[in-house]
Amino acid sequence: MPREAEPSANEKAFLLKALQDEQIRLDGREFDQYRPLELTFGDEYGVANVSLGKTKILAKASAEVTVPFADRPLDGIFTIATELSPMAAPHFEVNRPTETEVLLSRLLEKTVRRSGALDTESLCLVAGQKCWSVRVDVHVLSHDGNLTDAACFAVVAALRHFRKPDTSMENGVLTVYTPAEREPVPLGWLHSPFCVTWSFFGDEGETALLDADWMEEQVRVASVTISLNRHGEICQIAKLGGVPVEAVALLQCTSVALTKVKEFSTYLDGKLAEDAKRRDKGGFMAELRAENDRIVG
Amino acid sequence: MPLDTSAYSLALLRVDGRRWNELRRIHAQIRTQAAADGSSYLEMGHTKVMCVVNGPSEPGPRRGATSGGGSGGGQSKNAEVAVNIVIAGFSSVDRKRRGRGDKHILELQSTISQALAASLHTHLFPHSTINISLHVLSQDGSLLAALINAATLACVDAGIPMTDYVAACTAGSTSTYAANDEGADPLLDMNHQEEQELPGLTVATLGDSDRVAVLVCESRVQVSRLEGMLAVGVDGCKQVREILDRVVREKGIKMIQEGTVERGVGLNDMELD
Amino acid sequence: MPITILPPKAFRDQPPRHSLNHDSDDVMSDATSDSEDSDSQPGGVSLDGGATIHPRKRHRSGAGAAASSTFTKRPKTNAAINSIPRSAIVTPGERITTDPQWMRGHGTYLSSASLGEQAITSSLAGIVTRTNKLLSVRPLRARYTPEVGDLVVGRIVEVQAKRWRVDVGSTQLAALPLSAINLPGGILRKRTETDELQIRTFFAEGDLVVAEVQQLFQDGGAVLHTRSLKYGKLRNGVFMAVSGTGGGGGVVRSRRQVWTLESANNGGPIDVILGVNGYVWISKHVEPVVPEEAKGQTGITNLEEVVSATMYSSQNDRIEPETMREIARIRGVVTALVENGLRVDEDMVTKGYNEAVELALVSADGPEDVYLGGERGEQLAAALTAV
Repeated sequence: MPREAEPSANEKAFLLKALQDEQIRLDGREFDQYRPLELTFGDEYGVANVSLGKTKILAKASAEVTVPFADRPLDGIFTIATELSPMAAPHFEVNRPTETEVLLSRLLEKTVRRSGALDTESLCLVAGQKCWSVRVDVHVLSHDGNLTDAACFAVVAALRHFRKPDTSMENGVLTVYTPAEREPVPLGWLHSPFCVTWSFFGDEGETALLDADWMEEQVRVASVTISLNRHGEICQIAKLGGVPVEAVALLQCTSVALTKVKEFSTYLDGKLAEDAKRRDKGGFMAELRAENDRIVG
Repeated sequence: MPLDTSAYSLALLRVDGRRWNELRRIHAQIRTQAAADGSSYLEMGHTKVMCVVNGPSEPGPRRGATSGGGSGGGQSKNAEVAVNIVIAGFSSVDRKRRGRGDKHILELQSTISQALAASLHTHLFPHSTINISLHVLSQDGSLLAALINAATLACVDAGIPMTDYVAACTAGSTSTYAANDEGADPLLDMNHQEEQELPGLTVATLGDSDRVAVLVCESRVQVSRLEGMLAVGVDGCKQVREILDRVVREKGIKMIQEGTVERGVGLNDMELD
Repeated sequence: MPITILPPKAFRDQPPRHSLNHDSDDVMSDATSDSEDSDSQPGGVSLDGGATIHPRKRHRSGAGAAASSTFTKRPKTNAAINSIPRSAIVTPGERITTDPQWMRGHGTYLSSASLGEQAITSSLAGIVTRTNKLLSVRPLRARYTPEVGDLVVGRIVEVQAKRWRVDVGSTQLAALPLSAINLPGGILRKRTETDELQIRTFFAEGDLVVAEVQQLFQDGGAVLHTRSLKYGKLRNGVFMAVSGTGGGGGVVRSRRQVWTLESANNGGPIDVILGVNGYVWISKHVEPVVPEEAKGQTGITNLEEVVSATMYSSQNDRIEPETMREIARIRGVVTALVENGLRVDEDMVTKGYNEAVELALVSADGPEDVYLGGERGEQLAAALTAV
């Protein structure tokens, strides 16, 4: 397995000294400043391209009709699949989940799925027989640290952008309409959680940074990922080991995280509205709708 | 079976009759396995865990795949802490078999490995591996906390130098996230039923400081409740630390009585000089 | 699950004071002795004062609330259990002293106490020992840490180009360089490439060796040598692993680690090798075979020359059933000693063996009974500690 080259002792010392004595990050950001976050949607529904500095993530949502799990007949199926390929960084291998990947997928799972962001009951079509299976594939295109926050943002953006085909039930007959027949409908969405990751440096984890890049991630001694929505509800907190950090510091991190989450939320809402406008103006959908009207009328 | 949380506000008693700040009975033993370098058995209420530590030792020529990361590999300057968790099929009500690749278990392994790696003085054992093997015999909530406590005890038993105990427990909050109830009380040490119904978190602290090594929250909860839960959790960890410490001391004193270990210079004798 | 609730006795505002005693019972581990429970503990706060460390009911008064409980100094540990003070043992994280006159040794680290003071703190559960101004903590139990001059028994786990890697029960594998063994062919000669090619003919994976620690690496790894007739490959006996001198029970460093025991019941002489690392080898004593013609001129080099022929043999000699039985008996003695937490050294093993022979005489199965487990073992241990 090709191992990722670790930064040399001098590099580490330089970074730490700059951080702790001079309060300077190597890329000149403030401690609580994110790298520029950019989100673009694809032409299809449910494709979100997120870049956070040099970290790039593509998330694609898709849906198909399947049979629900026997133990949950009234719920749809919702899965998040993550893929860290050698494309992201040479030390990731295909088909062999690394620890990073397992932790990333668990975090996304806890943040988005277990917090009930997606209303899985609305995915049920015929109780115990037919339901939608919504799947989000997360592809890391480029890895430069802080995969979690970027991936979580991408997943939420993709799901909120996604439209599933409309369906109807008449006399026990289930009809799934193509986009040409009926405008696809958005998913039942309850709240939008976002992850904010703090990285800690120093012997007692006294220096805390937001949005660490890959170099900083390799040097950090601990990290905590806090998932919140803008209503101030914690969906998940994960400080999985590492150097112990003062409890009070963690509380402060949480409150800063909340303001960041509100920023994310506003940014995503803005982008979604922008995209909706663009599609509306494109006229393609409007044209289709006119055609349909003519047939029905 | 839904938990009737409305009952709590009447008598301030929880389903199992505890008050908000009471731990369940913790029973622990060390040196349970003669063949291992260190071992422990821990019960937190009905959650029962066994732990066996082997090492630090240098892996032979066949360097097996180790799960649970920790710090560094076989050739690094620090010892690697490899954790392996086996959850017995009979440990919970639904006899669900968990495969080896179960992500939840992998996450637990990684958490325990990283939490202990931060306290253990791994720099003293270059090129070696500390193998921690945990067996869950019975589950009734606070699983991660019990695993961390058992692993800490076993590492103490194995004589691996560490900064301090890593002690863990859970804390919760009465009433669910939906009810924005300002009067919600924090709860200490949640059992399985409470974990199912109420928001909660697992905290592990280093020694009797307020420094948090592990903080895992997997349920939705108002951010304003975090502080109360965290404070109760941290205090619970201190209580747990005292209990673990007592277990170790009693074992040590027993060994002195049996003559296995000679008496050393007592702290008090020393300070007289 | 519906719960029947009696009319509420406790109200929200009532301080949970009355429950405190109940708390400390509840959280207490089973093993706690009763003497700890008394409320009237004189002087200081005992560790069990669970009541004092309960959290206040609600921490809502800002971040300071959580922080205020930070510096509750650990109470002094001076409660007594059966006359041995609790302070006889230190545990990880316990401050030993803040006095700067002491130097820290093994098993301790420096932690910052209040006011920039450095405290020597224990990192192990063990006992404090002191050598002049050096404070160290001896663990109750730990892996073997090699020291120069230790006699160890080890197992070859890896064969490399010019050295073997030997498991000696330490945290790292020890190295046995090809240059540190007696090469066959007499006179101390330089090792050749031929020797390197046939490295496996000397020791192969799984072979047991007895060796001495020659030097230590900076990181604690050991280098062994077998340049003496006492050392080399082990044959004709049984291996057993008990805990070594890392701490707590098992083999202790003593005057003699290797001796020959004259066994009872026609067993003949038996060699016992107690490796300082806790690995034990018990074997039939074999006199070095010195051919007739060499007898006249027994210079030490000659002896080596002759002996080295059999030195790396992997064949056992013939062992009489009587000898085997006595070897098994000695093995049982060592096991019994370890199980009952007694030290393993020449004196104890010899006494234990004699005692075991006596025990066997009165047993129903006669002197052939070598069983020393369970009650027998305890009986043996009791007899030894009584002396």
